[in-house]
Amino acid sequence: MRTEATLLGIVFIPLLGSFLLPLIGRLSARFRNYCALGLVLVTFLLSASLIGKVLSGQAITVSQQLVFGFSTVFTADGLAVFMASVASFISLLIVIYSFGYIDHYDHQSEYYFMVVFFLGAMMGLVMASNLIFLYIFWELTAIASWRLIGFFREKNQVMRADKAFLVTFFGAVVMLLGFIVVYQQTGSFDYATIKASLNGGTLSNLAVGLILFGILSKSATLPFHTWLPDAGVAPSPVTALLHAAILVKIGVYVFARLFVATFPIEQIWHTVVPIIAGVSAIVAAGAALVETDIKRIIAYSTISQIGFIFFGLATGNMVGVAGGLLYILAHGLSKAGLFLCAGIVEQNTHVKDINRLGGLMKTMPFTAIAFLACSFSVMGIPPFSGFFAKYMVFAGGINNGQIGTTIFFMAGAFMTILYLLRVFYKVFMGETGESQAPEGSASMVYTVVIFAVLSLLSGILISYPAQFVQAALLNLPGVK
Amino acid sequence: MDSILLWPILVPLLGGLLVLAVPRSVRFWKESITLLATGVNLWLVCSLFDKNLYYFWSWLGFGNIEFSLRLYHFSSFIVIAAGAFAFLIGLYSLSFMKYRNYLRQFYAYLLWSLALANGAVLADNLIVLLFFLEALLITSFGFIAIGSKDSMKTAIKAFIIMGITDICLMTGAIIAGYLSGTLTMSNIHLTVSGLGGLAFILMMIGAIAKGGSMPFHSWIPDAAIDAPLPFMAYIPAALEKLLGIYLLARICLDLFQLQAGSWASITLMTIGAITILLAVMMALIQKDYKRLLSYHAISQVGYMILGVGTALPVGIIGGLFHMINHAMYKSCLFLTGGAVEKQTGTTDLSRLGGIGRKMPITFGAFIIAAMAISGVPPLNGFFSKELVYDGALKSGAIFYLAAVAGSFFTAASFLKLGHAAFLGKISEENKQVREASPVMLIPMIVIAAGCILFGVYNSLPLQHLIQPILSVKQLAGERFAGWPASSMLVVVTCVVLIGALINHYYGVKSEGSGLKAVDHIHYAPGLKGIYDRAEKRYFDPYDIGLKLAGYLSQITWGIDKAVDWIYETAAVSVSFFAGRKARELYKGYYASSLSWALLGFLVIALYLMVTLNG
Repeated sequence: MRTEATLLGIVFIPLLGSFLLPLIGRLSARFRNYCALGLVLVTFLLSASLIGKVLSGQAITVSQQLVFGFSTVFTADGLAVFMASVASFISLLIVIYSFGYIDHYDHQSEYYFMVVFFLGAMMGLVMASNLIFLYIFWELTAIASWRLIGFFREKNQVMRADKAFLVTFFGAVVMLLGFIVVYQQTGSFDYATIKASLNGGTLSNLAVGLILFGILSKSATLPFHTWLPDAGVAPSPVTALLHAAILVKIGVYVFARLFVATFPIEQIWHTVVPIIAGVSAIVAAGAALVETDIKRIIAYSTISQIGFIFFGLATGNMVGVAGGLLYILAHGLSKAGLFLCAGIVEQNTHVKDINRLGGLMKTMPFTAIAFLACSFSVMGIPPFSGFFAKYMVFAGGINNGQIGTTIFFMAGAFMTILYLLRVFYKVFMGETGESQAPEGSASMVYTVVIFAVLSLLSGILISYPAQFVQAALLNLPGVK
Repeated sequence: MDSILLWPILVPLLGGLLVLAVPRSVRFWKESITLLATGVNLWLVCSLFDKNLYYFWSWLGFGNIEFSLRLYHFSSFIVIAAGAFAFLIGLYSLSFMKYRNYLRQFYAYLLWSLALANGAVLADNLIVLLFFLEALLITSFGFIAIGSKDSMKTAIKAFIIMGITDICLMTGAIIAGYLSGTLTMSNIHLTVSGLGGLAFILMMIGAIAKGGSMPFHSWIPDAAIDAPLPFMAYIPAALEKLLGIYLLARICLDLFQLQAGSWASITLMTIGAITILLAVMMALIQKDYKRLLSYHAISQVGYMILGVGTALPVGIIGGLFHMINHAMYKSCLFLTGGAVEKQTGTTDLSRLGGIGRKMPITFGAFIIAAMAISGVPPLNGFFSKELVYDGALKSGAIFYLAAVAGSFFTAASFLKLGHAAFLGKISEENKQVREASPVMLIPMIVIAAGCILFGVYNSLPLQHLIQPILSVKQLAGERFAGWPASSMLVVVTCVVLIGALINHYYGVKSEGSGLKAVDHIHYAPGLKGIYDRAEKRYFDPYDIGLKLAGYLSQITWGIDKAVDWIYETAAVSVSFFAGRKARELYKGYYASSLSWALLGFLVIALYLMVTLNG
């Protein structure tokens, strides 16, 4: 019973607690900030407290008989707890960073409200074990992200927020159609019941295709990706949240949840998805090499890296899927670090064009080194965790016999090195740019350094997350 | 389970951390830690010589990703060599690096590079190999970056070239692991065909790029100018040659069974021959001490690749012998260059000259090392080159010719270098130059003595270090030590060397100075145009590659914009258009609204009739 309460707490403490934040904000801004931090911290601690339980192979289920034949509501298994822990932990650091970043803007109460609400919706989505609940939480995250992207309220920002909302909403509606097809095929929205009714057979291709629409649009994969670079108008901690912890990880998580962990799908998808992901990875990497706005470059980098994650998850073998999950961790840590570094640069210099920046190594050395370290992790250089993730994704692809696709991704990996070093050189090295600025506030600099250190530690101590991931993947239908 | 194998990795690693941990102001700390850590490491690996040790830790526990280390004859030999160079160059740096910036970082990178190199050589699992080998990217990057104010561009260039080739190596290793069902290197035995061929090519790219072969070479001459000099003597001249050729030998001998005369063998030999020739031609015309040496660091790796690529015992033995010889004389040469730089403040040959009398010990070490690299008997380079020639001639006369031509230009360029730097008239600014400090001279003397030792007593390295790398069966009772088996080859070599000497006299006579001794080749009709373009970097594969990546990204940028157009323009205009049309349909009459509603109802009814009946 206590574990079930924990599970409900993970979802509802942030989700409902977030509504209190604006009220607290009327009393004291500082207290509100700490409350927001507290809510996220509690969410993380509760998620982490389940690690031991799920590692021993148990799954915690909260079930309730509801109408229309869906009964189970939330389930926490290894996969869900992994995702919840990673997302809430990264969010925790991002909230700390926000203290320094957001404190000279208006509408702070709304900001903390939406961030915590966003995390709560994500937790609900991660734990949901029913397609309708999944859809509800999915759309809650869309609302929160819409508000956060348009946080600065100027016309341009609101338009970009609308674009993000419309594209992901469009995908979600198509996905909902897919859920209906699943219901027609199996007579249920409940994961366990669907699985039982499929009885080892595969989900219909129509359903998989429609659901993929939603997944790809949420995870900003070609051809539904262009909203993500545009969403860079959001405050930097929000973009970090969108890219590293919550939003784009929803798509990959749901892919892993539905098509790896729960429902068998036809073999053809193990070929089709890597190809889509590969094209997306290359196109985005190329765009990152041309783009000159620092946040847009990092955003294209996310699109490209998400392709690698999909590739790993879609291989359907242990190494590849484990690589995909470790990639979520590695990319989350390092990409959050990159965005927050970009945030420091942007806020202090008021410039986002890398051609107008330069030589910031001298005035912000910590940010520069953190940026470089996080870049190394994204590139997959050992001993950073990105190395293991990239290796395992490639190994998964090759074990699956997809030599050609892997070679394609190899080119993507080449370009990753190019565009990240290009940003580093233009922003932090070379000729002094038009704006020299000091380091950001302490909470901001500490956060980026912590992300860099974590990227390194998660690589050196890779055996711990790897064992966790391995335990999470035992006996899943989509992992051979 | 021999956990002692962890110490060659941990000792320098911890040493590096200690160097960084203590504030800059504490004097002698970093230097003593460096000497201590490299010294302990050297003692340790020497004490382990020729033992067979194995260490295993399950690490991740799936996907064959295990942390396994193996010490056997070959890896033991390489870690000793790496340890010796690290110690000597550490010693040398005490004096050379004095009063420079970023000293703590410098020593930390030196120690970490050693730790990583040891790890890579001892690795018995491909992913462990990749882990350590690729991590060297970071230390090399840092090493170059701290060199000077403008060295970041070169650091990035080195990083990109090595990073990309490391990804190739990784993919190749994964394919090899997939084909053989294991990542344990001592259990992988594949043939070079089909997918195995792809794996071979990819891994080979990684190995020869580490060695600094063409077309992955172009960062080395740039680094010669930008990076701190001990880096050049340590990484491109010694450590990376050892690692690259060790890896290449492992690939060709263990992981894959390279057959003489196979396409893979011919590919390797071709790369080797081209590298020898093109790089030495570039070395010939350099006007800077360090840059000239750096081109030779590229050219010489060609001999090793050519030797190993023959897949004949004599070639492989020669290539590996050349690897250790080259590491010796080339780092010695770089160290003499450093001494010259430290004492005169320049490495520009036009500002040097005549300092041989002022720096006799440096000059002596230079002469020995230069004779060794030119293959003058009885120095070590002579014997290893003869073995490579033997293998090359057996594989094809064209490869032999390329190798011999390379020797001619090598000798010519060192005659020029020695003449221009140490002989001739001394300039006014160098009149006060003195000999370098003893801590810089000792490493040079030790290494130069090693060049003589490995030449005169070549049976010592050959029979105890190199030959056991091959199995008794592979050796087939052939003799490699002692005087070269074929007198004909020796005669040709001597003729070529004498030719180089004559060429030098001719050049000096007609142009009037040592520096211009090869100008008749440089400005020869036909060659001049090519040289001009090469000097302007038209042929730098790195620049060409970046340009290609630029074109590719422009195309994908276009695709990206086209996709965005669908959202930004097409979707918007379609919905506006549809909205306008819909508004036109609305006339405001009760009757028209009713008829639309009826129409809708009819459609639903029809659908229901069809589906329910169906």
